Amino acid sequence: MRRFGRVLLTIVGLSVCTTALAVDYRFETLAEGLDHPWSLAFLPGGGMLVTERVGRLRLIEADGRLREAPIDGVPEVFVGGQAGLFEVALAPDHHDSGWVYLSYACGTLAANTTCLDRARFDGQRLVARETLFRAEPDKQGRSHYGGRLTFLPDDTLVLGLGDGFDYREQAQNPGNHLGSLVRLTPAGSVPGDNPFVAASEARAELYSIGHRNIQGVVFDETRSELLIHEHGPRGGDELNRILPGANYGWPLVTHGVDYTGARVTPFTELPGFEPPLLHWTPSIAPSGMTLYDGERFPEWRGDLFVSALAARQVRRLIREDGEIVGQEALFTELGERIRDVRSGPDGALYLLTDSAEGRVLRVMPAP
Amino acid sequence: MTRRWQTLVAYVAAVLDATLLGSIVQTQFNLAALSALGADISFSTRLATTAHDLLGFTPLYGSLVAIMMLGAMPVASVVTRWLGFGAWPIHALAAALGLWGMLLIVDALAPMPTLIAATRSLEGTLAMMATAALGGWGYAILAYFDWDGAAG
Repeated sequence: MRRFGRVLLTIVGLSVCTTALAVDYRFETLAEGLDHPWSLAFLPGGGMLVTERVGRLRLIEADGRLREAPIDGVPEVFVGGQAGLFEVALAPDHHDSGWVYLSYACGTLAANTTCLDRARFDGQRLVARETLFRAEPDKQGRSHYGGRLTFLPDDTLVLGLGDGFDYREQAQNPGNHLGSLVRLTPAGSVPGDNPFVAASEARAELYSIGHRNIQGVVFDETRSELLIHEHGPRGGDELNRILPGANYGWPLVTHGVDYTGARVTPFTELPGFEPPLLHWTPSIAPSGMTLYDGERFPEWRGDLFVSALAARQVRRLIREDGEIVGQEALFTELGERIRDVRSGPDGALYLLTDSAEGRVLRVMPAP
Repeated sequence: MTRRWQTLVAYVAAVLDATLLGSIVQTQFNLAALSALGADISFSTRLATTAHDLLGFTPLYGSLVAIMMLGAMPVASVVTRWLGFGAWPIHALAAALGLWGMLLIVDALAPMPTLIAATRSLEGTLAMMATAALGGWGYAILAYFDWDGAAG
């Protein structure tokens, strides 16, 4: 019945997709020449912080000017392949505390993982930096780190992680952090009500398991829903609604196949595993996600926006009462891989393009 | 049969042999990893997955094997001629080592650490090398067989 419901939703969604009203918009280039920009955070006094995957944190001043010198105080980052500096996020109390959170790949090619630091940003540099979390165990290679994070209203944060590619079966092992979503206090300790706290063989930081490579994390405050998306292999990219302690099935359950064409698993669903809200097959390679709540595009309010690398677009997920009833491919005319999409405090949508000459774009209503 | 045709037939047979056997073996390694996680893999599911991979996995893998055999079999033939004996084991060994080398090259070039999941472990790599060895062995049988003498 549940499956039938999803099929019905897909059919309804497709029909909505074809009837979605086009919204006129224009692009403004705020910054360019960034080396694979990965994440964007809006400063309270205007301006933005932007990470570059090569390990730099850049400041776009309130007047829109990109400060030439990178911000000092960034941790030492392992760079290569998918590894590098990932998310930048401001603490909810950043205005008072100055805390800025950075996720990144740490270690060496032979032994690396995902780390989370925080530091105080004084307007010029990062100071008082401390490492809050280091995913365990270290692994080889330069793939699947996750790295997206968001803050929850209960004064905790969640950080998405990856399976390290070669270690996919470990996403089912609660004894490590591979292929999981972890939940931490702002200081990096374990919240007492984490779902795996009582399980002696499990890591207490775990919030959900069975993920391949989480690349988008959004908390919908209106519906009190935590939503994530993750990369599948060839096909099987997923949007998931996170339930504490739930298992999302990778690699036992997926709609994708391996890059070689071989089956990762014969199962697309099994009892005990949470099915995705939707899956993208073939893959779009989702890379970031935002819930738009701005005033400039009233038609888009309440919808999810998913940036995509392979599909070179932003996918708008049209929602009604929290259910996804349609999809719309946006910004395909850019022809660029999009690394991140953000809902700005000014009501505009912001995009990061993924290239060695990456740009920060602002999407505004057409005049 | 001319020498040239005999070599071509042996090559095609070796590539098919190594590719199909390799596909079947890698499927079993992938399914074994799922079984170790507690999945119940029925015989029909195993059969269907193996058949799927024979269609889905073989185009890419067959290309790699074909390129590898193009290099490994002539080298094995030169070594055999030089030694004057041992065509079967030499060609089997050449194919196995050729596949190992090919995996190293592909993994170095591909963005992911290990392209073929079954070769993440030593056991899986050795099993895949064994299937390539069977292909090389088949090549030697066909390439060195005296068809004209057998015919008559």
